[in-house]
Amino acid sequence: MKIVTIAGVQGSGKTTLIRELIALLGAQGSRAAVIVNEEGEEPYAQSFLEAQGVEIFQIRGG
Amino acid sequence: MGCSTATSLVTGIKKIRRNPNPDFLFIEPSEMVVTQEMRNVTAMGRRDVAYDLGPFITLVDGPGFQAVWRERQPLLLGHIAGSDLVAVSRADLIAAEKMAEIVNTLTGYCNDVLRLSARSGSGLEEVVKIVRGA
Repeated sequence: MKIVTIAGVQGSGKTTLIRELIALLGAQGSRAAVIVNEEGEEPYAQSFLEAQGVEIFQIRGG
Repeated sequence: MGCSTATSLVTGIKKIRRNPNPDFLFIEPSEMVVTQEMRNVTAMGRRDVAYDLGPFITLVDGPGFQAVWRERQPLLLGHIAGSDLVAVSRADLIAAEKMAEIVNTLTGYCNDVLRLSARSGSGLEEVVKIVRGA
């Protein structure tokens, strides 16, 4: 497992980038999970998570 | 990052590493957390379980850059310091001169600035390469 961290102010496109990366890496056969702070920029759609087989974990305050 | 948040993040990382143990674990921290803090905290779990660290990526919003640089420069520099990659997002929405200004401003704080656009897909392959190889 490799940890990839995406920093940036709110609205900088962190969630969008992570979604894109998961889709591209998934197409190459890699599995991914996400830890997101509770103020995540935008929710990950359930359909996306299911289609990509991604598990999502939320942490408080971080 | 507070102690309890750091602890719950490390606990979460270790739990995910044990099961489902994905190839990649993406972490999207709160905007107030800077990269060096993330480096320190994400390394803690390696005392217990084995996993790889990095890359640490900082995203800078292209259209919103000037406002963030004016008001929140210490925060932005905290994100950039210690990053393996700095990328300007929504690069397709800003003019070439604006982009040059951003690159000029950030030069000195980081080695290179990648132009990124999720909409056009530009720069994404490069990020994937860095994510796979770092």
